[in-house]
Amino acid sequence: MIETMLRTFLRSVTIGAVLLTLPLGTRAAAQKAPVNAHAATIAEFVKRVDAYVALHRKLESTIPALPKQGTPAQIDAHQRDLARLIQAARKNAKPGDLITREMQVLVRLVLRPIFLGEDGRQMKAEILDKEITGNVKLAVNGRYPDEVPLSIVPPQVLTSLPKLPEELEYRFVRQNLILLDPHAHIIADYVERAFK
Amino acid sequence: MMRILRVPSGIVACALAALVWCVSVDTARAVQQKPAAPAAPAASSQVALPNKPDTLHFAVIGDNGTGEQAEYEVGEQLLTWYNRFPFPIVLMMGDNIYGSDRPQDFVKKFEAPYKGLLDKGVKFYATLGNHDSREQRYYKYFNMDGKLYYSFKAPKEDVRFFVFESSYMDQPQAKWIEAELKASNEKWKIAYFHHPLYSSSMTHGSTVKLRQVLEPLLIQYNVSLVLSGHDHVYERLKPQNGIQYFVEGSSGELRNGDLRPGSRDTAVGYDTDRAFVLMEVDGDNLTFNAISRQGTVVDSGVIPRRK
Repeated sequence: MIETMLRTFLRSVTIGAVLLTLPLGTRAAAQKAPVNAHAATIAEFVKRVDAYVALHRKLESTIPALPKQGTPAQIDAHQRDLARLIQAARKNAKPGDLITREMQVLVRLVLRPIFLGEDGRQMKAEILDKEITGNVKLAVNGRYPDEVPLSIVPPQVLTSLPKLPEELEYRFVRQNLILLDPHAHIIADYVERAFK
Repeated sequence: MMRILRVPSGIVACALAALVWCVSVDTARAVQQKPAAPAAPAASSQVALPNKPDTLHFAVIGDNGTGEQAEYEVGEQLLTWYNRFPFPIVLMMGDNIYGSDRPQDFVKKFEAPYKGLLDKGVKFYATLGNHDSREQRYYKYFNMDGKLYYSFKAPKEDVRFFVFESSYMDQPQAKWIEAELKASNEKWKIAYFHHPLYSSSMTHGSTVKLRQVLEPLLIQYNVSLVLSGHDHVYERLKPQNGIQYFVEGSSGELRNGDLRPGSRDTAVGYDTDRAFVLMEVDGDNLTFNAISRQGTVVDSGVIPRRK
Protein backbone atom coordinates (compact mmCIF):
# COMPACT_ATOMS: atom_id res chain seq x y z
CA MET A 1 0.00 0.00 0.00
CA ILE A 2 2.72 2.42 1.03
CA GLU A 3 4.69 1.31 -1.99
CA THR A 4 1.74 2.06 -4.27
CA MET A 5 1.27 5.48 -2.71
CA LEU A 6 4.97 6.19 -3.01
CA ARG A 7 4.97 5.14 -6.63
CA THR A 8 1.96 7.33 -7.36
CA PHE A 9 3.67 10.24 -5.64
CA LEU A 10 6.90 9.72 -7.53
CA ARG A 11 5.04 9.57 -10.79
CA SER A 12 3.27 12.81 -9.97
CA VAL A 13 6.63 14.39 -9.26
CA THR A 14 7.91 13.04 -12.54
CA ILE A 15 5.02 14.57 -14.45
CA GLY A 16 5.81 17.92 -12.90
CA ALA A 17 9.49 17.49 -13.55
CA VAL A 18 8.85 16.55 -17.14
CA LEU A 19 6.88 19.69 -17.78
CA LEU A 20 9.19 21.93 -15.78
CA THR A 21 12.28 20.74 -17.58
CA LEU A 22 10.94 21.59 -21.01
CA PRO A 23 12.72 24.58 -22.55
CA LEU A 24 10.69 27.71 -22.91
CA GLY A 25 9.76 27.26 -26.56
CA THR A 26 8.74 23.69 -26.07
CA ARG A 27 7.06 24.49 -22.79
CA ALA A 28 4.97 27.11 -24.52
CA ALA A 29 3.96 24.57 -27.13
CA ALA A 30 3.22 22.02 -24.45
CA GLN A 31 1.11 24.54 -22.61
CA LYS A 32 -1.19 24.84 -25.59
CA ALA A 33 -2.53 21.58 -24.31
CA PRO A 34 -3.72 21.93 -20.74
CA VAL A 35 -1.36 20.42 -18.15
CA ASN A 36 -4.29 18.33 -17.02
CA ALA A 37 -4.34 16.73 -20.44
CA HIS A 38 -0.72 15.65 -20.02
CA ALA A 39 -1.44 14.45 -16.51
CA ALA A 40 -4.38 12.45 -17.80
CA THR A 41 -2.22 10.98 -20.57
CA ILE A 42 0.45 9.91 -18.13
CA ALA A 43 -2.10 8.61 -15.67
CA GLU A 44 -3.57 6.45 -18.41
CA PHE A 45 -0.09 5.17 -19.30
CA VAL A 46 0.60 4.35 -15.66
CA LYS A 47 -2.72 2.55 -15.40
CA ARG A 48 -1.93 0.42 -18.43
CA VAL A 49 1.59 -0.32 -17.21
CA ASP A 50 0.18 -1.35 -13.83
CA ALA A 51 -2.26 -3.69 -15.54
CA TYR A 52 0.55 -5.22 -17.59
CA VAL A 53 2.69 -5.69 -14.50
CA ALA A 54 -0.19 -7.24 -12.57
CA LEU A 55 -0.66 -9.72 -15.39
CA HIS A 56 3.09 -10.35 -15.56
CA ARG A 57 3.29 -11.05 -11.82
CA LYS A 58 0.25 -13.28 -11.85
CA LEU A 59 1.64 -15.37 -14.70
CA GLU A 60 5.15 -15.45 -13.29
CA SER A 61 3.80 -16.80 -10.03
CA THR A 62 2.54 -19.89 -11.88
CA ILE A 63 6.01 -21.01 -12.95
CA PRO A 64 8.93 -22.09 -10.75
CA ALA A 65 10.78 -19.12 -9.28
CA LEU A 66 14.32 -18.61 -10.43
CA PRO A 67 16.93 -19.39 -7.77
CA LYS A 68 19.53 -16.69 -7.23
CA GLN A 69 22.19 -19.16 -8.25
CA GLY A 70 20.43 -20.74 -11.19
CA THR A 71 21.56 -22.87 -14.08
CA PRO A 72 21.36 -21.79 -17.72
CA ALA A 73 18.60 -24.33 -18.25
CA GLN A 74 16.54 -22.86 -15.40
CA ILE A 75 17.07 -19.31 -16.65
CA ASP A 76 16.18 -20.20 -20.22
CA ALA A 77 13.10 -22.18 -19.22
CA HIS A 78 11.86 -19.44 -16.93
CA GLN A 79 12.31 -16.73 -19.54
CA ARG A 80 10.69 -18.64 -22.36
CA ASP A 81 7.85 -20.07 -20.26
CA LEU A 82 7.00 -16.60 -19.00
CA ALA A 83 7.16 -15.21 -22.52
CA ARG A 84 4.80 -17.89 -23.77
CA LEU A 85 2.31 -17.19 -20.98
CA ILE A 86 2.36 -13.44 -21.58
CA GLN A 87 2.15 -13.83 -25.33
CA ALA A 88 -0.86 -16.12 -24.93
CA ALA A 89 -2.57 -13.81 -22.46
CA ARG A 90 -1.94 -10.81 -24.75
CA LYS A 91 -2.39 -12.57 -28.04
CA ASN A 92 -4.29 -9.63 -29.49
CA ALA A 93 -1.86 -7.01 -28.21
CA LYS A 94 -0.94 -4.32 -30.69
CA PRO A 95 1.21 -1.20 -30.77
CA GLY A 96 -0.30 1.54 -28.65
CA ASP A 97 -1.92 -0.76 -26.11
CA LEU A 98 0.43 0.43 -23.37
CA ILE A 99 1.81 3.61 -24.85
CA THR A 100 -1.30 5.24 -26.22
CA ARG A 101 -1.18 7.55 -29.21
CA GLU A 102 -1.40 10.55 -26.86
CA MET A 103 1.43 9.17 -24.74
CA GLN A 104 3.55 8.62 -27.83
CA VAL A 105 3.12 12.29 -28.72
CA LEU A 106 4.03 13.28 -25.17
CA VAL A 107 7.12 11.05 -25.17
CA ARG A 108 8.38 12.72 -28.34
CA LEU A 109 7.61 16.11 -26.85
CA VAL A 110 9.49 15.34 -23.65
CA LEU A 111 12.49 13.83 -25.41
CA ARG A 112 12.82 16.56 -28.03
CA PRO A 113 14.68 19.11 -25.87
CA ILE A 114 16.92 16.44 -24.38
CA PHE A 115 18.28 15.60 -27.80
CA LEU A 116 19.06 19.17 -28.81
CA GLY A 117 22.49 20.76 -29.00
CA GLU A 118 25.82 19.27 -27.98
CA ASP A 119 24.27 17.35 -25.08
CA GLY A 120 21.78 15.86 -27.48
CA ARG A 121 24.49 14.91 -29.94
CA GLN A 122 26.38 13.06 -27.20
CA MET A 123 23.18 11.36 -26.12
CA LYS A 124 22.41 10.16 -29.63
CA ALA A 125 25.98 8.94 -30.09
CA GLU A 126 25.64 6.80 -26.99
CA ILE A 127 22.21 5.46 -27.84
CA LEU A 128 22.65 4.78 -31.53
CA ASP A 129 24.84 1.72 -31.23
CA LYS A 130 27.04 1.20 -34.26
CA GLU A 131 26.80 -2.53 -33.64
CA ILE A 132 23.14 -2.55 -34.68
CA THR A 133 23.22 -3.20 -38.38
CA GLY A 134 20.49 -4.24 -40.79
CA ASN A 135 16.79 -3.96 -40.30
CA VAL A 136 15.41 -4.65 -36.82
CA LYS A 137 11.73 -5.45 -36.91
CA LEU A 138 9.82 -4.42 -33.83
CA ALA A 139 6.84 -6.52 -32.82
CA VAL A 140 4.64 -6.20 -29.76
CA ASN A 141 4.84 -9.48 -27.85
CA GLY A 142 7.81 -10.50 -29.95
CA ARG A 143 11.07 -11.72 -28.46
CA TYR A 144 13.75 -9.06 -28.28
CA PRO A 145 16.23 -10.19 -30.94
CA ASP A 146 19.17 -12.06 -29.40
CA GLU A 147 21.65 -10.53 -31.81
CA VAL A 148 20.66 -6.93 -31.10
CA PRO A 149 22.52 -5.34 -28.18
CA LEU A 150 20.53 -3.42 -25.61
CA SER A 151 20.93 0.31 -25.88
CA ILE A 152 22.17 2.39 -23.06
CA VAL A 153 19.39 4.59 -21.69
CA PRO A 154 21.04 7.77 -20.42
CA PRO A 155 20.09 8.82 -16.90
CA GLN A 156 18.82 12.12 -18.31
CA VAL A 157 16.23 10.22 -20.36
CA LEU A 158 15.17 8.02 -17.47
CA THR A 159 14.53 10.97 -15.18
CA SER A 160 12.33 12.56 -17.84
CA LEU A 161 10.00 9.63 -18.38
CA PRO A 162 7.52 8.08 -15.94
CA LYS A 163 9.19 5.61 -13.63
CA LEU A 164 8.64 1.96 -14.41
CA PRO A 165 8.41 -1.04 -12.13
CA GLU A 166 11.25 -3.50 -12.50
CA GLU A 167 9.21 -5.76 -14.79
CA LEU A 168 9.58 -3.19 -17.57
CA GLU A 169 12.44 -1.10 -18.91
CA TYR A 170 12.77 1.65 -21.46
CA ARG A 171 15.25 0.82 -24.21
CA PHE A 172 16.01 2.24 -27.61
CA VAL A 173 16.26 0.36 -30.84
CA ARG A 174 17.70 3.02 -33.09
CA GLN A 175 15.34 6.00 -32.70
CA ASN A 176 12.49 3.85 -31.45
CA LEU A 177 11.73 3.69 -27.74
CA ILE A 178 10.58 0.28 -26.59
CA LEU A 179 9.12 -1.08 -23.40
CA LEU A 180 11.12 -4.22 -22.73
CA ASP A 181 9.97 -6.94 -20.36
CA PRO A 182 13.41 -8.13 -19.25
CA HIS A 183 12.15 -11.20 -17.38
CA ALA A 184 10.43 -12.56 -20.47
CA HIS A 185 12.78 -10.84 -22.94
CA ILE A 186 9.84 -9.61 -25.00
CA ILE A 187 8.79 -6.22 -26.31
CA ALA A 188 5.65 -5.04 -24.55
CA ASP A 189 5.12 -1.93 -26.70
CA TYR A 190 7.09 0.75 -28.53
CA VAL A 191 7.14 4.32 -29.83
CA GLU A 192 8.45 4.78 -33.32
CA ARG A 193 10.82 7.69 -33.97
CA ALA A 194 10.88 8.76 -30.33
CA PHE A 195 13.60 11.26 -31.16
CA LYS A 196 15.11 12.71 -34.32
CA MET B 1 51.48 -3.02 -34.47
CA MET B 2 51.50 -2.43 -30.78
CA ARG B 3 50.48 1.03 -29.68
CA ILE B 4 52.57 2.23 -26.78
CA LEU B 5 52.69 5.68 -25.32
CA ARG B 6 55.34 6.62 -22.84
CA VAL B 7 54.10 7.46 -19.42
CA PRO B 8 55.63 9.97 -17.06
CA SER B 9 58.29 8.69 -14.70
CA GLY B 10 60.49 9.96 -11.93
CA ILE B 11 60.24 13.68 -11.42
CA VAL B 12 57.33 14.08 -13.78
CA ALA B 13 55.35 11.47 -11.91
CA CYS B 14 56.13 13.15 -8.60
CA ALA B 15 54.89 16.41 -9.99
CA LEU B 16 51.69 14.68 -10.92
CA ALA B 17 51.43 13.30 -7.42
CA ALA B 18 51.55 16.78 -6.02
CA LEU B 19 48.51 17.65 -8.06
CA VAL B 20 46.44 14.61 -7.37
CA TRP B 21 47.86 11.23 -6.63
CA CYS B 22 50.16 9.50 -8.97
CA VAL B 23 50.24 6.37 -10.95
CA SER B 24 53.79 5.47 -10.25
CA VAL B 25 54.42 3.57 -13.37
CA ASP B 26 57.68 3.39 -15.09
CA THR B 27 56.69 0.79 -17.53
CA ALA B 28 55.04 0.19 -20.82
CA ARG B 29 58.04 0.98 -22.85
CA ALA B 30 59.26 -1.33 -25.52
CA VAL B 31 57.32 -4.53 -25.06
CA GLN B 32 58.66 -7.72 -26.50
CA GLN B 33 56.45 -9.05 -29.26
CA LYS B 34 57.48 -12.65 -28.68
CA PRO B 35 55.43 -14.68 -26.23
CA ALA B 36 56.85 -14.58 -22.75
CA ALA B 37 56.83 -17.61 -20.52
CA PRO B 38 54.69 -16.73 -17.52
CA ALA B 39 57.26 -18.01 -15.10
CA ALA B 40 59.99 -15.87 -16.59
CA PRO B 41 61.15 -12.94 -14.49
CA ALA B 42 59.71 -9.63 -15.55
CA ALA B 43 61.84 -7.51 -17.81
CA SER B 44 63.53 -4.56 -16.14
CA SER B 45 61.05 -2.15 -17.73
CA GLN B 46 58.13 -4.04 -16.25
CA VAL B 47 56.76 -3.95 -12.75
CA ALA B 48 56.48 -7.52 -11.55
CA LEU B 49 53.47 -8.57 -9.55
CA PRO B 50 54.66 -8.96 -5.94
CA ASN B 51 52.80 -12.28 -5.79
CA LYS B 52 52.70 -12.37 -2.01
CA PRO B 53 50.70 -15.15 -0.37
CA ASP B 54 48.52 -12.93 1.82
CA THR B 55 47.63 -10.18 -0.61
CA LEU B 56 44.54 -9.92 -2.81
CA HIS B 57 45.03 -11.27 -6.32
CA PHE B 58 42.39 -10.89 -9.02
CA ALA B 59 41.98 -10.97 -12.78
CA VAL B 60 39.97 -8.69 -15.05
CA ILE B 61 38.38 -9.74 -18.33
CA GLY B 62 35.87 -7.95 -20.52
CA ASP B 63 33.78 -8.42 -23.65
CA ASN B 64 34.86 -12.01 -23.65
CA GLY B 65 31.78 -14.12 -24.38
CA THR B 66 32.19 -14.83 -28.07
CA GLY B 67 32.72 -18.56 -27.87
CA GLU B 68 35.40 -18.18 -30.51
CA GLN B 69 38.96 -19.44 -30.61
CA ALA B 70 40.47 -16.22 -29.29
CA GLU B 71 38.38 -16.40 -26.12
CA TYR B 72 39.57 -19.95 -25.52
CA GLU B 73 43.17 -18.90 -26.00
CA VAL B 74 42.78 -16.10 -23.48
CA GLY B 75 41.20 -18.65 -21.13
CA GLU B 76 44.22 -20.91 -21.51
CA GLN B 77 46.56 -18.00 -20.91
CA LEU B 78 44.65 -17.06 -17.76
CA LEU B 79 45.01 -20.60 -16.50
CA THR B 80 48.74 -20.58 -17.23
CA TRP B 81 49.15 -17.40 -15.23
CA TYR B 82 46.89 -18.71 -12.49
CA ASN B 83 49.36 -21.51 -11.87
CA ARG B 84 52.03 -18.93 -11.09
CA PHE B 85 49.86 -16.18 -9.66
CA PRO B 86 46.78 -17.79 -8.11
CA PHE B 87 43.81 -15.45 -8.16
CA PRO B 88 40.62 -16.48 -6.37
CA ILE B 89 38.37 -14.09 -8.29
CA VAL B 90 37.85 -12.82 -11.81
CA LEU B 91 35.98 -9.58 -12.48
CA MET B 92 33.94 -9.60 -15.70
CA MET B 93 33.33 -6.26 -17.41
CA GLY B 94 30.23 -7.39 -19.32
CA ASP B 95 29.27 -8.79 -22.70
CA ASN B 96 29.66 -12.11 -21.01
CA ILE B 97 27.55 -14.04 -23.52
CA TYR B 98 27.22 -12.53 -26.98
CA GLY B 99 24.14 -13.27 -29.07
CA SER B 100 21.99 -16.22 -28.21
CA ASP B 101 22.15 -17.33 -24.58
CA ARG B 102 20.56 -20.74 -24.67
CA PRO B 103 22.01 -23.26 -22.18
CA GLN B 104 24.51 -24.54 -24.74
CA ASP B 105 25.74 -20.97 -25.23
CA PHE B 106 26.66 -20.67 -21.56
CA VAL B 107 28.83 -23.73 -22.04
CA LYS B 108 30.43 -22.65 -25.31
CA LYS B 109 30.94 -18.99 -24.40
CA PHE B 110 31.78 -19.27 -20.70
CA GLU B 111 32.05 -22.66 -19.02
CA ALA B 112 34.31 -24.29 -21.59
CA PRO B 113 36.80 -21.43 -22.11
CA TYR B 114 37.28 -21.03 -18.36
CA LYS B 115 36.84 -24.65 -17.32
CA GLY B 116 40.34 -24.85 -15.90
CA LEU B 117 39.72 -21.88 -13.62
CA LEU B 118 36.23 -23.02 -12.62
CA ASP B 119 37.63 -26.45 -11.73
CA LYS B 120 40.11 -24.76 -9.42
CA GLY B 121 37.30 -22.94 -7.62
CA VAL B 122 37.93 -19.49 -9.07
CA LYS B 123 34.85 -17.30 -8.65
CA PHE B 124 33.71 -14.98 -11.41
CA TYR B 125 31.83 -11.78 -10.53
CA ALA B 126 30.02 -10.33 -13.53
CA THR B 127 28.55 -7.06 -14.51
CA LEU B 128 26.10 -6.99 -17.40
CA GLY B 129 26.99 -5.53 -20.78
CA ASN B 130 24.75 -4.35 -23.55
CA HIS B 131 24.91 -7.78 -25.21
CA ASP B 132 23.79 -9.59 -22.06
CA SER B 133 20.28 -10.69 -21.22
CA ARG B 134 19.19 -9.21 -17.89
CA GLU B 135 18.44 -12.70 -16.61
CA GLN B 136 22.12 -13.62 -16.58
CA ARG B 137 22.05 -12.13 -13.12
CA TYR B 138 20.60 -15.46 -11.95
CA TYR B 139 23.44 -17.53 -13.41
CA LYS B 140 25.28 -19.22 -10.57
CA TYR B 141 28.77 -18.78 -12.01
CA PHE B 142 28.34 -15.03 -12.38
CA ASN B 143 27.71 -14.66 -8.62
CA MET B 144 25.29 -11.75 -8.98
CA ASP B 145 22.65 -13.33 -6.71
CA GLY B 146 19.87 -12.11 -8.95
CA LYS B 147 20.93 -8.48 -8.67
CA LEU B 148 21.62 -6.06 -11.50
CA TYR B 149 23.97 -4.10 -9.25
CA TYR B 150 25.69 -5.20 -6.08
CA SER B 151 28.84 -4.92 -4.01
CA PHE B 152 31.04 -7.46 -2.33
CA LYS B 153 34.01 -7.54 -0.01
CA ALA B 154 37.19 -9.04 -1.35
CA PRO B 155 38.40 -12.25 0.31
CA LYS B 156 41.66 -10.54 1.33
CA GLU B 157 42.86 -7.01 2.04
CA ASP B 158 40.56 -4.12 2.87
CA VAL B 159 38.83 -3.94 -0.48
CA ARG B 160 35.20 -3.63 -1.60
CA PHE B 161 34.09 -4.01 -5.19
CA PHE B 162 31.06 -2.06 -6.45
CA VAL B 163 29.36 -3.45 -9.52
CA PHE B 164 26.97 -1.24 -11.49
CA GLU B 165 24.52 -1.75 -14.33
CA SER B 166 25.69 1.06 -16.56
CA SER B 167 23.18 0.71 -19.38
CA TYR B 168 20.27 1.64 -17.12
CA MET B 169 21.33 4.17 -14.51
CA ASP B 170 17.93 4.99 -13.06
CA GLN B 171 17.23 6.82 -9.82
CA PRO B 172 16.97 3.73 -7.61
CA GLN B 173 20.38 2.54 -8.76
CA ALA B 174 21.96 5.98 -8.40
CA LYS B 175 20.60 6.21 -4.86
CA TRP B 176 21.84 2.73 -4.07
CA ILE B 177 25.31 3.59 -5.35
CA GLU B 178 25.53 6.66 -3.17
CA ALA B 179 24.29 4.83 -0.08
CA GLU B 180 26.60 1.89 -0.67
CA LEU B 181 29.68 4.00 -1.27
CA LYS B 182 28.88 6.15 1.72
CA ALA B 183 28.48 3.14 3.99
CA SER B 184 31.71 1.53 2.90
CA ASN B 185 34.60 1.80 5.33
CA GLU B 186 37.02 -0.19 3.23
CA LYS B 187 40.30 1.46 2.31
CA TRP B 188 40.04 0.39 -1.29
CA LYS B 189 36.86 1.10 -3.22
CA ILE B 190 36.97 -0.37 -6.70
CA ALA B 191 34.03 0.13 -9.07
CA TYR B 192 33.38 -1.68 -12.30
CA PHE B 193 30.69 -1.60 -14.96
CA HIS B 194 30.42 -2.06 -18.69
CA HIS B 195 30.34 1.42 -20.24
CA PRO B 196 33.58 3.39 -19.76
CA LEU B 197 33.36 6.90 -18.39
CA TYR B 198 36.62 7.62 -20.17
CA SER B 199 37.79 5.88 -23.31
CA SER B 200 39.91 6.87 -26.27
CA SER B 201 38.39 4.32 -28.61
CA MET B 202 36.89 5.55 -31.83
CA THR B 203 33.99 3.11 -31.92
CA HIS B 204 32.31 4.09 -28.65
CA GLY B 205 34.57 6.32 -26.61
CA SER B 206 33.68 8.00 -23.33
CA THR B 207 30.14 7.61 -22.02
CA VAL B 208 29.73 11.26 -21.19
CA LYS B 209 26.11 11.35 -20.07
CA LEU B 210 26.71 8.54 -17.60
CA ARG B 211 29.87 10.25 -16.42
CA GLN B 212 27.88 13.34 -15.46
CA VAL B 213 25.94 11.24 -12.96
CA LEU B 214 28.57 8.81 -11.70
CA GLU B 215 31.81 10.71 -11.57
CA PRO B 216 30.80 13.11 -8.76
CA LEU B 217 29.90 10.11 -6.60
CA LEU B 218 33.14 8.30 -7.39
CA ILE B 219 35.14 11.38 -6.46
CA GLN B 220 33.15 12.23 -3.36
CA TYR B 221 33.34 8.75 -1.89
CA ASN B 222 37.00 8.16 -2.61
CA VAL B 223 36.87 5.44 -5.23
CA SER B 224 40.45 4.66 -6.26
CA LEU B 225 39.98 2.52 -9.31
CA VAL B 226 37.31 2.15 -12.03
CA LEU B 227 37.28 -0.72 -14.51
CA SER B 228 35.11 -0.99 -17.62
CA GLY B 229 34.81 -2.73 -20.97
CA HIS B 230 32.58 -2.06 -24.01
CA ASP B 231 35.39 -0.78 -26.22
CA HIS B 232 37.27 -3.77 -27.51
CA VAL B 233 40.75 -2.68 -26.55
CA TYR B 234 42.94 -2.44 -23.50
CA GLU B 235 43.50 1.10 -22.29
CA ARG B 236 44.92 2.54 -19.12
CA LEU B 237 43.92 6.13 -18.88
CA LYS B 238 45.77 8.93 -17.22
CA PRO B 239 44.14 9.56 -13.83
CA GLN B 240 41.03 11.66 -14.21
CA ASN B 241 40.15 13.83 -11.24
CA GLY B 242 42.26 11.62 -9.04
CA ILE B 243 40.75 8.30 -10.15
CA GLN B 244 42.52 5.62 -12.15
CA TYR B 245 40.46 4.23 -15.05
CA PHE B 246 41.05 1.12 -17.14
CA VAL B 247 39.18 -0.20 -20.16
CA GLU B 248 39.52 -3.95 -20.65
CA GLY B 249 37.15 -4.99 -23.41
CA SER B 250 39.38 -7.24 -25.45
CA SER B 251 39.33 -10.62 -23.74
CA GLY B 252 37.27 -12.13 -26.56
CA GLU B 253 36.35 -9.39 -28.98
CA LEU B 254 38.95 -7.08 -30.51
CA ARG B 255 38.77 -3.89 -32.56
CA ASN B 256 42.17 -3.75 -34.08
CA GLY B 257 43.58 -0.23 -34.19
CA ASP B 258 40.53 1.34 -32.55
CA LEU B 259 42.40 3.58 -30.12
CA ARG B 260 42.49 7.18 -31.25
CA PRO B 261 46.08 8.05 -32.10
CA GLY B 262 47.51 10.75 -29.89
CA SER B 263 44.66 10.75 -27.38
CA ARG B 264 45.59 13.02 -24.49
CA ASP B 265 43.81 10.75 -22.03
CA THR B 266 45.65 7.54 -22.83
CA ALA B 267 48.52 6.49 -20.59
CA VAL B 268 49.01 3.17 -22.34
CA GLY B 269 46.88 1.38 -24.89
CA TYR B 270 46.98 -1.99 -26.56
CA ASP B 271 44.62 -2.64 -29.45
CA THR B 272 46.28 -5.22 -31.61
CA ASP B 273 45.40 -8.42 -29.79
CA ARG B 274 43.25 -9.77 -26.98
CA ALA B 275 44.23 -9.07 -23.41
CA PHE B 276 43.36 -9.44 -19.75
CA VAL B 277 44.67 -7.83 -16.58
CA LEU B 278 46.04 -9.27 -13.35
CA MET B 279 45.98 -7.12 -10.23
CA GLU B 280 47.35 -7.43 -6.72
CA VAL B 281 46.38 -5.26 -3.79
CA ASP B 282 49.04 -5.09 -1.11
CA GLY B 283 48.19 -2.58 1.59
CA ASP B 284 47.98 0.85 0.02
CA ASN B 285 49.31 -0.19 -3.38
CA LEU B 286 47.84 -2.05 -6.30
CA THR B 287 50.19 -3.60 -8.84
CA PHE B 288 48.85 -4.53 -12.27
CA ASN B 289 50.02 -6.43 -15.31
CA ALA B 290 48.08 -6.28 -18.56
CA ILE B 291 48.80 -9.41 -20.52
CA SER B 292 48.20 -10.28 -24.16
CA ARG B 293 46.73 -13.49 -25.52
CA GLN B 294 50.31 -14.65 -26.18
CA GLY B 295 51.30 -14.06 -22.57
CA THR B 296 53.27 -10.87 -23.10
CA VAL B 297 53.06 -8.19 -20.44
CA VAL B 298 51.94 -5.14 -22.42
CA ASP B 299 51.55 -2.74 -19.51
CA SER B 300 52.35 -2.75 -15.82
CA GLY B 301 52.64 -0.41 -12.91
CA VAL B 302 51.66 0.44 -9.36
CA ILE B 303 48.68 2.49 -8.27
CA PRO B 304 48.43 3.93 -4.78
CA ARG B 305 44.98 4.09 -3.27
CA ARG B 306 43.27 7.40 -2.76
CA LYS B 307 43.36 8.64 0.81
